[in-house]
Amino acid sequence: MMIEFTLLRLATFLYLAATIAALASLVARRELPRQIMPGLLLLGLLTHAASIALHSVHAGHLAVTTLAEALSFLALLMVALFLVLQLRRPLLALGAVVSPLAFGMALGADVIYQGARPLPPALQSVWLPVHVGLAILGDAIFALASSASLLYLVQERRLKAHRGGRMLRGLPSLETLDRLNYTLLVWGLVLLTLGIVTGIVWAHSAWGTPWSSDPKLMFSLATWGIYVILLQGRMSAGWRGRWAAQLTIAGFAVIVLSLVGINVLELGNHGTF
Amino acid sequence: MGERGIVLVGLNHRTAPVELRERLAFENGHHEHALRRLMAVDGVAEGAIVSTCNRVEVVACGASPDSLGAALPAYLAREHGVTESTLGAHLYTHVGRDAVRHLFRVAASLDSMVVGEPQILGQMKEQYAAAAAAGASGRVLHRCFHKSFSVAKRVRNETGVAEKAVSIGSAAVELARRIFDRLEDQTALLVGAGTMGELTARQLLSGGVGSVMVTNRTFDRAVEVARHLGGTAVPWERLGRYLPLADLVIGVASGDGFLLGVPVVEAAMRERRRRSIFFIDLAVPRCIDPAVNQLDGVYLYDIDDLEGVVVDNQGARAREAVKAEAIVETEVEAFWRWLGSLDAVPTIVALREKIEAMRRAELERLLASMPDRSPEQSAAIDRLTVSLVNKILHGPLSALKRHQASAEEAFYVEAARRLFRLGVDSPDDEDER
Repeated sequence: MMIEFTLLRLATFLYLAATIAALASLVARRELPRQIMPGLLLLGLLTHAASIALHSVHAGHLAVTTLAEALSFLALLMVALFLVLQLRRPLLALGAVVSPLAFGMALGADVIYQGARPLPPALQSVWLPVHVGLAILGDAIFALASSASLLYLVQERRLKAHRGGRMLRGLPSLETLDRLNYTLLVWGLVLLTLGIVTGIVWAHSAWGTPWSSDPKLMFSLATWGIYVILLQGRMSAGWRGRWAAQLTIAGFAVIVLSLVGINVLELGNHGTF
Repeated sequence: MGERGIVLVGLNHRTAPVELRERLAFENGHHEHALRRLMAVDGVAEGAIVSTCNRVEVVACGASPDSLGAALPAYLAREHGVTESTLGAHLYTHVGRDAVRHLFRVAASLDSMVVGEPQILGQMKEQYAAAAAAGASGRVLHRCFHKSFSVAKRVRNETGVAEKAVSIGSAAVELARRIFDRLEDQTALLVGAGTMGELTARQLLSGGVGSVMVTNRTFDRAVEVARHLGGTAVPWERLGRYLPLADLVIGVASGDGFLLGVPVVEAAMRERRRRSIFFIDLAVPRCIDPAVNQLDGVYLYDIDDLEGVVVDNQGARAREAVKAEAIVETEVEAFWRWLGSLDAVPTIVALREKIEAMRRAELERLLASMPDRSPEQSAAIDRLTVSLVNKILHGPLSALKRHQASAEEAFYVEAARRLFRLGVDSPDDEDER
């Protein structure tokens, strides 16, 4: 219990350091922050993963059943995905959004940390890691897509406003960000769909009802709807750019709302996380 | 080697007209012979040549800078078959620290016609390699040139001197890069075939833009300009039809009202499925309706906007240049300290003092452990250590003295400093990468 909490603290601190390095690399000319930012995130990721692994062993199941655990897991997957993305195509500027986001989530998990809890028998199943893992991976991909969208909106606003080269260097081009948004959207939607389907199947095997009016499901379907419409619009109507970026962020806002809102209000089967 | 051993003589774009620079340029691949003749000049211990289209410079090291300062202009004149008086007013001579500073500034592109342009560093590296291959450069120039490369790298990394566009065309390229991923895949459309447009289109093409279409009220002129640019001409009446194919549009044709208004551009954007278009309006009065900038995915810059970017960048460059000069100054000082440490006399003194101090320390320790010794014994031991030290030091010291003020002085001095670990800021190889 103590060790994993200390590790989580350490990871939070490392994400904060990465945030500072990322912001410094956007405004300062030194190469150093740019070079150490991915390293700080990687260190954060490793300590974070160790914390979650210990916590899961302690709890006897994948530690994703409280809000703190879910936030923590989401931050972990998001950072991991960002680092994998860097291997394919370095977009360090994205780190300036991902690092503070990871820091915020880890800090949130830190503050409301409550240790492991026994699981109700109905939920003790192999479906737990499968369903929750897929769902949170989808959320992490949308978090990255939203980060890219945020950068898009910043870059777009600067270009429209005819502001010169001052401030913020090294932002990727609009086209790069838009393309990244599209790719992430496709993958995010695939995982969200799988998350919803496994949720329904699991609910069926646990409670015998294939369809419940669980608010989490409602929110997920709303998110799903937004992203399906967006993807459809992109593929057939050529939606892109600002509108696509705004919709992506709106979809992620619904995700955050459902994650936090449902837990605070303790609604439905997902009331605990 | 001493205070004033490095001399640089040359001329550049500020001091000499292009005809003279052309005349004096050392042809690529012919450096070897020129360097050999440079080494044959009286008093030259090390030499190198830097020759680009904007500058011709000869750097040399030797014991007597005064005679080098006189010999190098004569060498330049001889090499290129001109009289020394022709060169006279165009040449500058930098001696010692000033020569090092000049070389560092040239490498860092602070002395270039377009400050921050990157080619100069590559040219210097090539020409230094030629000097090294010909055996013309020695320890001092080796270190000096390598140091100048690392100064250039620092200036590039730590200041924005090289990254800001300072012309309309390069500002357009810089902005296009923020919109498009790969300029190679983009097509530009030049609306109107004036000189300004052609120039900007050319800069976009050399900035990486893939292809260009040209349209003009008189088609023949469009064909002509398209041929110059290696693009295709399209008929004026079909402007609306071709607009969706263009990712960058340069408007230079003014007339009554706007040539491109919101409806035409909106239709083009729909046909392009809202892929971005970058409009550059260089016409006065303007030929593109400013309202198109409000459309999603459309970025319109008129000549004032671009000039705003350029002015911002020039201001930023000037500020960055101050930082760059500070870096150069620090590095010149560091290099100069190293060069000073190569003097034989202080090294001889330091070596003597160090060994003498060791002798004394050891002697005192020994005598302290022998309380029963007689004064004769003490004196004998003292004599023994003195003669031992003198015998050991005889070789190194006489070598240092013998090579004083010769070409090998620096080599012997540095060897001595390293072997006997003299001085705290000993000349390590920190930067000789």
